Amino acid sequence: MILATNITLSYDGKKNIIENGSFHIKEKEFIFISGSSGSGKSTLLKSFYGELGVKKGHLLINKMDISKANSTKLLTLRKNIGIVFQDYKLIKEYTVEENIMLPLELKGYDERISKKQVKNLLNHVQLAHKANAYPAELSGGEQQRVAMARALAHNPSLILADEPTGNLDEYSANVIWKLLRDANEYLGITVVVVTHTIPKGFPIKYRRFNIDDGVVYEAS
Amino acid sequence: MKHLKSFVSFTAPMVIMLITFCIYLLINKVVVNYKQNITNDYSIIVVSNTPFSKINNIADIKIKNIKILERKDIIKDIKGKLSESSLKLLNEKLPYFYQIYLEEFPTTYKLDQIKEELSNISNVKRVETFSNNHNKIYSLLLLIQNIIMVLFILMLMLSFLLISKQIKIWFFEQSERISIIQFHGGSLLYSSKPIIKVMAFSTLFSIVFIGLISYITFININLLVKPEIVTLIPKLNDMQFDILKVILLAFIIPLITFFGLSVQHKIK
Repeated sequence: MILATNITLSYDGKKNIIENGSFHIKEKEFIFISGSSGSGKSTLLKSFYGELGVKKGHLLINKMDISKANSTKLLTLRKNIGIVFQDYKLIKEYTVEENIMLPLELKGYDERISKKQVKNLLNHVQLAHKANAYPAELSGGEQQRVAMARALAHNPSLILADEPTGNLDEYSANVIWKLLRDANEYLGITVVVVTHTIPKGFPIKYRRFNIDDGVVYEAS
Repeated sequence: MKHLKSFVSFTAPMVIMLITFCIYLLINKVVVNYKQNITNDYSIIVVSNTPFSKINNIADIKIKNIKILERKDIIKDIKGKLSESSLKLLNEKLPYFYQIYLEEFPTTYKLDQIKEELSNISNVKRVETFSNNHNKIYSLLLLIQNIIMVLFILMLMLSFLLISKQIKIWFFEQSERISIIQFHGGSLLYSSKPIIKVMAFSTLFSIVFIGLISYITFININLLVKPEIVTLIPKLNDMQFDILKVILLAFIIPLITFFGLSVQHKIK
C-alpha cells in the first residue's frame, strides 16, 4: 500500500524534516504515526497524498511513485484516498449532505447512488437528522463525524487522518476512534493516523511509527 | 447578494467593452460606406494634347473607368458667343479631356502620387484631382475611427484588468474551498465551477443586453442621426459578421482571463 525508500522531506529545500525514511505499510493495516510536536508527523502524512513533494528517495502509494507523479496523477490518487483533518476542512457553503457527496461527485458516481450512499453514511455516523445543516450549525464532534463520513463515502482503499481527535472532547474522540477502527476492521481499509496519543487499550492490531529528530522508526 | 456583486463586477466592464467595440465596428462600416460613396462620385480630370493611351493602374490603385469628355459637349455652352470660324478653330485646337474613375478613394499621399504620375505622361497638360472637398470629410471620419479604436483598446485593457481582478478576488476568497476540493482529487477547473457559471451568465447577459441596445438603436437610427448620415449607416443585415465578432470577443476575453489566472494560481 505505502512503500517509502530513503525518503527525505523538506518544505524549503534546505532544512530536512524527514531524512532517509524507509518503511512499508501493507494493505488493511492500522498504523499510528506519533512523535513530539514539530517532529514531522503531519509532514510525512502530507507526502502520502502529494501535498508535499518528496525531495529524495521513492514513495509508492497504491503502486504509484508519488515522487514522480504529475498533478493529474496526484488528483487521481487522491480520489481513492479518504483524508480526515484535525480542523475538519468541511466546505462551509455546502450542507452536510453535499460535503459527504463531494468525493462521490468527483469520482463520477450516479447522483441517485450517491444520495443512497450518503444516507447510509449519515445513519452510520448518527447524523441523519443534520443532512441539510451547514457546518457552522454543527459542533466540533459532529463536524468531524461528517468529515469521517466524507472520507468513507467513495470506498477508499486508504484513509489518512491527521490528528483527527485533536480538537474533540473525550466522547466525540471515542466516536471517531470507533469509526476509524470499524473502517479498518470491517471494510478492510488501510488506516494511517497521525496522533500525539494512542488511545489506551486500542482493541485492534496496529503498528506504530515514531518520528524523532527526522528519523522514522517502528516503535514496539 | 455575493453572487449579485460578482455578477455586476463581471457584467459592467464586459458591457462597456462590448459597447465600445460595437461603436468601433459601426464607425468602421460608416467609413467604408462613405469611402465607397465618394469613390463612385469621385473622378480626376486630365487634359492632354494627344489622345490618352490606355492605363490600368495609377499609384497602385486600379482604374475603374476612363471616360472621354466630348469636345462638342465642352464647347456647347459657348457656342452662341463665338463665330463659326472661331468654333472650328477651337474644335481643332482644343485638347483632349478625360475623366478617370478609380476603384478606391485615394489618400492625400496617394493623390499626390497620382497627380505626379499623370503629369509625367508626355503631352499631359493639366491634372485636376478635386481632392479638397472629399478629403476633409474623409480625414475627419478616419480621425474618429482612430479615436474610437484607441478608446476600444483602452476599454479592452480596462475590462481585462477588472475581470482579472474579480477572478483574483474570487480565488482568494475561495482558496480554502479550492484546496479542500483538491485534497479530494478535484481539479482547479472543477473547483472553479461557481465562478465559471457567473462568468458564463455575465457573458450571455452582456451579449443579450448589447444585442437589444443595438437593435433599438438601429430601428430608431433616423431619430438619432442626421438624414445625410443615415445613408452611410449599414443595414443590420450587413452587420452579421460584425455581430459574430462581438459574440466572439464576449467569450474570448473572460476565457483568456480565467485560463491565464488559473495557470498563475496553479503555478503558485
